[in-house]
Amino acid sequence: MNRMQTMAIVFTLATGAHAASLQLGDTLPARDVPMKNVDGKTLTIADAKGRHGTLVIFSCNHCPFVKAWETRIAAVGNAALAKGVGVIQINANDPAVQPADGYQEMQQRARERGFQFPYVVDATSDVARAFGAGHTPECFLFDAADKLVYRGAVDDDKDAARVTQHWLRDAVDALAAGREIATKETKAIGCTIKFRKKS
Amino acid sequence: MGRWALGLGLALWVAGCGRPDPAPPVIPVTAAELRRVITAARAKAVLVNVWATWCGPCREELPDLVRLERDGRAAGLKVLLVSADSESDLPQVKRFLAQHGVCFPTYFKAQKDMEFINGLDPRWSGALPATFIFDNQGKLVNRLEGKATYAEFVALIQPVLEEQQ
Repeated sequence: MNRMQTMAIVFTLATGAHAASLQLGDTLPARDVPMKNVDGKTLTIADAKGRHGTLVIFSCNHCPFVKAWETRIAAVGNAALAKGVGVIQINANDPAVQPADGYQEMQQRARERGFQFPYVVDATSDVARAFGAGHTPECFLFDAADKLVYRGAVDDDKDAARVTQHWLRDAVDALAAGREIATKETKAIGCTIKFRKKS
Repeated sequence: MGRWALGLGLALWVAGCGRPDPAPPVIPVTAAELRRVITAARAKAVLVNVWATWCGPCREELPDLVRLERDGRAAGLKVLLVSADSESDLPQVKRFLAQHGVCFPTYFKAQKDMEFINGLDPRWSGALPATFIFDNQGKLVNRLEGKATYAEFVALIQPVLEEQQ
């Protein structure tokens, strides 16, 4: 293998996993893609929009980091609905890779955690690709004009007892109240999305 | 934690590596400390892999990384494994490493996620597994999020090693 061939492989490896993640100010993508909810109905991200905006959360069932944050995701999501921010949680994982990420398991999880918001299947993983989402849990908050105003983690520690920064809750509260969001981009370690093969 | 902890871990490893059932040391690091380890490695290329015992793809690729460390050592490759497990899970981290014949010092993340992620590589999303390639100056030259094979790891490091010939 010559050097150019090697460099080509390296470039492909480093950039080919998924599109670049959305940047602050970007417009909500894939808003009209129909996805199956845990209640059996089909809906789009646009359907979930609230009067102040939309919170989109990429999640799944199997990831230990999702499990660690899930109670807080439910609390923030349910509170967001009450404040006029629509919420939709999306599972883009291929259950052929992770059987625990199947539809029935999603229904069970939604019941157990008391999600008052939809938890839908991204059946091609193309919605996740459109967001440039790469891992779970990962949150994207859009304002009423469908512009990205916050992206990143729920808070600053998977261990609830050690949390000092409630980033997502504060961002939702600020959006609903018409205030500037103090911390707009955050990160946390999570599981890679198990993308379905390109449709 | 200070540099003494890094030194103590290395000393314990040197003492224990030749034993029949060595438990590799798992040394706490912040991103800044890890950057210093990378620079001090004086290797032609340094591969940093961030993994966790709870991460299936991480567990699957670890044997290839162990093989890569063994095969690439003479060519100037240094492999640094960094666990993102909680400190309370260190016993199972050590067990897993020992089961896979890891007999070189490894590390665990001793810092909040965001500080560690941005300190190591601001372009890293936080997804695991994550692999970073540094050159002999400690400069980050490549990254990969997600599982890779032995051949893919070789393709990542080969140009960096060749650059130093």
